[in-house]
Amino acid sequence: MKIVDLMLKIDRRIIYLILAIVVILPLIIPSAQHVRVMAPVQKLYTAVDTIHPDKALMIDFDYDPQTQPELEPMALAILRHAFKKKIKILGLSLYVQPLGLAKAALDQVTGEINALAKTNSDSVIYGRDYVFLGWQPPPIVPILGMGESITNVYKKDFYGNQTDTLPLMKQIKNYNNVELLISISSGDPPLWWVSYAQNRFGLRVGVGCTAVSASDYYPYLQTGQFSGLMVGMKGAAEYEELVEKDLNIHKRRKASEALPSLTYAHLVMIVFIIIGNIGYFIKRRQK
Amino acid sequence: MQRTFPLILCFIFGILGIIPFIVPHPVVQHTDEFLRNDLLRILAAFALVLGLGSLLRVHFDKIQHRRENWQYSWVLLITFFLTSIIGLFGGVAGTGPLPTRIGNFSFDIQTIYLNVEVPLGATMFALLSFFMASAAYRSFRARSTEATLLLLAAFIVMIGILPLGNQISPHLPSFAQWIMDVPNVAGKRGIAFGIALGSLATALKILLGIERSWLGGGE
Amino acid sequence: MNFSLDPWVWISALLSLAIFSFLYKDNPFYKFAEHIFVGAANGYAVTFYWHNILVPSLFDPLFRQGKLLYIISLIIGVLYFTRFIPKISWLVRIPIGITIGYYTGASIPAGIQANIIKQIQGTILTKENFLSWHAGNMGIVWSLILFLGVLCTLSYFYFSREHKGVLKITSRIGIVFIMIGFGAAFGYTVMARVSLLIGRLQFLLGPWLGIIK
Repeated sequence: MKIVDLMLKIDRRIIYLILAIVVILPLIIPSAQHVRVMAPVQKLYTAVDTIHPDKALMIDFDYDPQTQPELEPMALAILRHAFKKKIKILGLSLYVQPLGLAKAALDQVTGEINALAKTNSDSVIYGRDYVFLGWQPPPIVPILGMGESITNVYKKDFYGNQTDTLPLMKQIKNYNNVELLISISSGDPPLWWVSYAQNRFGLRVGVGCTAVSASDYYPYLQTGQFSGLMVGMKGAAEYEELVEKDLNIHKRRKASEALPSLTYAHLVMIVFIIIGNIGYFIKRRQK
Repeated sequence: MQRTFPLILCFIFGILGIIPFIVPHPVVQHTDEFLRNDLLRILAAFALVLGLGSLLRVHFDKIQHRRENWQYSWVLLITFFLTSIIGLFGGVAGTGPLPTRIGNFSFDIQTIYLNVEVPLGATMFALLSFFMASAAYRSFRARSTEATLLLLAAFIVMIGILPLGNQISPHLPSFAQWIMDVPNVAGKRGIAFGIALGSLATALKILLGIERSWLGGGE
Repeated sequence: MNFSLDPWVWISALLSLAIFSFLYKDNPFYKFAEHIFVGAANGYAVTFYWHNILVPSLFDPLFRQGKLLYIISLIIGVLYFTRFIPKISWLVRIPIGITIGYYTGASIPAGIQANIIKQIQGTILTKENFLSWHAGNMGIVWSLILFLGVLCTLSYFYFSREHKGVLKITSRIGIVFIMIGFGAAFGYTVMARVSLLIGRLQFLLGPWLGIIK
């Protein structure tokens, strides 16, 4: 078989095998990679960092199992940041599938903090420091309803507690008491928050999104409709870098650990595309 | 009547959806709140019936008529009913009347979600990376100037966004970021205007009853 | 290697491998896992629809608190079931019409404000936009490129006139911006898909096999 034919007809299973190897090896033999923090992530970090003590951060956990690897590291990094700064948190999901993952993320970070806490004020206590509101369909109901009253929309939280009896909900009534909402999402929810909640109630919206949505969201970042943007695993790694550097929080950085594998996978993709193109041009010239 | 009445309802509720954005009067806002919290929310819950009903009907039909791979339909139905029973009677947090623990082995709905649904869903999407690599190798050809531009932009972004880009040159990540901030925004915004105007036109057509595909077939 | 002793970790790992087996070819393990996924996902949804919505938002107010107004919501909701009764299946159009009508109506002002007006404001050549780049005088250049790029992209999609003369030039420039946008999107999409693979492998190599800590 000529070299040109070889270049154009590499078996797909060989491609799969090479991709798997270049992804697995860096995971087994880890190497530290520091990331350069870019402006969109820095903007989001600053927006969270400057939340007024009397106001809350609302997090819309909208990642499902299919997008968990990209978005969960973002959620964990933001939660660590917010709890370290003693920012009050309201968590919710606009869909049913992310609920379990949202609960898992909250449980993980609050567990980390409470394991090291020595006093009551060091601890993160449910109902006082954070509330997980849960899910109410359809998305337009909570997005618009919370502009008037959060407890009217979420009469009970995820765990079945009456929300109007929780200490935090006595302070945080509606969007006027929420300084920033971060939508960690794989689809359109960030645009819904901007279209409905920001337009009607002036809510500031930050976004953590999958890399697939990135190029569509930059126009909203440019207009200032998004107060910051984290994109994919790289964005999560940047936020992790900021959290570690600024707040001295040393926890497992899942997104940063993945960067070497990501790098080699990208290089392999580029090489395969180049091989395919070289073969194509040689074949075209031969004709 | 069978088509006219739903069309009239669609128009009326469409107007009820628009007015609260324009009229801040408390009566309008309270009515809107009632509609959303006490009607739409409940309708959304019942809407699950449509999807679920179709799914169950398709699979019962497959079993009944022994269509291809009908045996797997049993797997789906058994899993669905088992999970539903565990969730409905075991409760969201596993504290319902149905016990969801045998010794140290827990099988409440959250455990099933984290250990069955999450790995399955995640792995299905993980397959896409392999298919993408194979498809990119087979079909991404720089056949024209435009295609070459696309590939160049892709390569710059793919390398620039990672730490390797910074190691090659500190200007590379900045250039990749500039590509996202300026030419990408310009292109996507132009497309987004078209989509927004098209969506607006379609929305008006639906409200005015010109677009009737949502009524489905039949009389 | 430090294999996990947790039976659920093994179940997760074996289900993941069953899905990965599709890479070789379609096979019974993959089909089995795929059907389990659909069944479990729907069972999970049913659980939360019941406990989080129907019970607290409908059945409790109606049957426990005696708020009879909720009968209207119950009746309209039950009309969804008529989809499966051919003689009266047209009644399903009522709840669908209400839902589609409200969402469509609400989307009109929201869409105009967020996707048209704000985006125009971000495109036009104003001092605020020049300063928003935080790039000094280069902000004017970037704003100009953005402005021209948006106009040229829009001109590419203007098909009511033949692309000749000036329109041909602007639409060619528009194509350049579109292609750069799509190229950037592809680059990020590659990162997205590979991230999902890495996530799965982190689980298999970590909690299951204990190779990575």
